[in-house]
Amino acid sequence: MSKLLVVDDEANIRILYSEELKDEGYEVVTAANIAEATEKLQESVFDLAVLDIKLKNESGIELLQKLVKERHEMPVILCSAFSCYKDDFSAWLADGYVVKSGDLTELKHEIARVLAKKAQKLKAGL
Amino acid sequence: MDLECCWNREVIEQADCPNISEGEEELLVSRLQRVTEKCCECPVFLTAIDQHRESSNPLAPILAGVLDENSRQKNQIQSLVSFLDNKTLEMRFMHELGSVLQSSVDLDEVLSVALTAITAGKGFGMNRAFLLLSDREAGVLRGYLGIGPRNLEEASQLWNEITQNDMDLQTLAQNFRHNKLSSERAKFHDVLEQLTVQLSNKEHIIIKALDGKTPVMVENAFHHPDVPRELANLLGVDTFLLMPLVSRNRRIGMIIADNFITHRAITSEDMHSLETFGFPVAFAIERASLYDKLQVELNRVTEAGNKLKEQQELIVKMEKMALVGRITSSIAHSIRNPLMIIGGFARSMIKSTAVSDPKRNFIESIVSETRQLEGVLDEILNYSDSLYPTRDFWDVNQVVETSIRDLQEMLMQRGCECHFSPNATLPLAYIDIKQVSYCIRTLIISDIDGRSGEVIIVHAYLHEGNIHITIEDKERTVSQDELDALLTPFSITHDMGSGLGLALCRTMLEKQNIPLLVVAPPEGGITYTLTLPISKEEQA
Repeated sequence: MSKLLVVDDEANIRILYSEELKDEGYEVVTAANIAEATEKLQESVFDLAVLDIKLKNESGIELLQKLVKERHEMPVILCSAFSCYKDDFSAWLADGYVVKSGDLTELKHEIARVLAKKAQKLKAGL
Repeated sequence: MDLECCWNREVIEQADCPNISEGEEELLVSRLQRVTEKCCECPVFLTAIDQHRESSNPLAPILAGVLDENSRQKNQIQSLVSFLDNKTLEMRFMHELGSVLQSSVDLDEVLSVALTAITAGKGFGMNRAFLLLSDREAGVLRGYLGIGPRNLEEASQLWNEITQNDMDLQTLAQNFRHNKLSSERAKFHDVLEQLTVQLSNKEHIIIKALDGKTPVMVENAFHHPDVPRELANLLGVDTFLLMPLVSRNRRIGMIIADNFITHRAITSEDMHSLETFGFPVAFAIERASLYDKLQVELNRVTEAGNKLKEQQELIVKMEKMALVGRITSSIAHSIRNPLMIIGGFARSMIKSTAVSDPKRNFIESIVSETRQLEGVLDEILNYSDSLYPTRDFWDVNQVVETSIRDLQEMLMQRGCECHFSPNATLPLAYIDIKQVSYCIRTLIISDIDGRSGEVIIVHAYLHEGNIHITIEDKERTVSQDELDALLTPFSITHDMGSGLGLALCRTMLEKQNIPLLVVAPPEGGITYTLTLPISKEEQA
């Protein structure tokens, strides 16, 4: 079972993601900010992280840069309320990008795609 | 003294003296004036004086001496008058030349005046002249312009023309500049091309003359030890003049002048006059060259100023964009998150609600309404993006292919087809790729929305300097009212979607000055045409 870390400052979104992704068969751990996410990352290993870009006064992009540097083996999907970040060069570091929507189909597809890609890489020994 | 002459008479008749012409009648009544002006040179009178010298009168030899001295002085005066006349003409010419040269800062005009002055009969009257200008960066003295006839036939024609049209120097120079400058350059192209000498070649006669800063008359050129054989052959004359053009110790260039046609000897007087002429010409050429450089610098500064202005405007625009971005980002965050939560939970609830449960319809309505609201939000955010297009040159084939590929899944789900054959001959288009791609996608989506089995044909071709993209659905029939509604923001049509869709496309495209033409004839079919520019100039 793949273990996912969901970082979002909205409590209801964390609950929604958690419920929906658990239904898809993932183990889900949530965090409300960068400090909490860092703590969770130290406690266990995750297969993938879903990050919101706007985290109250913090930036999900900053956390993304940190993860790319320190946990480059863990893919990251950015999930944001606006599409303009797709054009932000920093966002290109992420493995996937999804615009937030009540319909989580796209997010679920993206998670499955990224995890499959990761598995392929592992299989190829890259 | 017994002379058969008229000198001793106070008044004489016209027939008495053969030396008095018509118009000199006052000499007939004035003996003193007649003796001074005419008798002193009259052979009859002079013979008489010689005969008288042998007489015993002591005044006779003195008179003869006085007459000789008078004759010598008269000749001297005559020579001085002639010299002064020449100098007056030369000064007038130099004055005219100076005025013309001083009033011009155009290099071609200055050169035209200079070379015309050398070759014009009213000027120095040389047959032919070549101007070489120094190129300091390349370290060479290079042939720049030639003037004069190439053969006797051309010379006769040219000099006849000049004689028939009595023109002053300025008019001659203007005539040369406007009618002959390019042709003369082409005419002497072969000679000018070979008239290139390294400035460092101090042994070359041209460079020696330039360094010496004084004119050099070259005679016996074909056998002159300092004249390279190829130079003598190139000019084809045995005698020529090298006139250095030096201004404030700067080596500006060299004029080579000769009498190629008439072979008239070049005198020291010619050399002296040309030397006087050399300085103002050199100064005028230098000034015109500097003015040219100044003009280039001025253009560069003006261009830099314009760019700076553009940059300033861009900064202001970007500040506005940043503000719009902040506002839309705030809207996106504040509206999308609650919408997502509502829609997301509603979807979750559907999963655990039985199909027979009457509340399921309510939940489905919540899902449907939130989906629509999310769509509207997307369109509003796209609209704010459209206010500031970012244009660049893009491959239209790629733009169309990518847009269609993005919709492939949706097209397949609805059993629709979209065909496009790339056109390899198309140039790049100057567009905002994001917005144009969005518009192509939106036009296709709006066409297949709520329908199935549609076949859409996309063409891209060059027409009248623009790239036209047409999106055509031959099966579709749309009334004029529906068409108007389609292009009006927030209007709703029954079967072609709702909201901003096509109206947003039109706004986006208008911001880039790209017309969007929609044609839906009553007999059926609908065609959207986008006209894309291929250069920046076409942007307003």
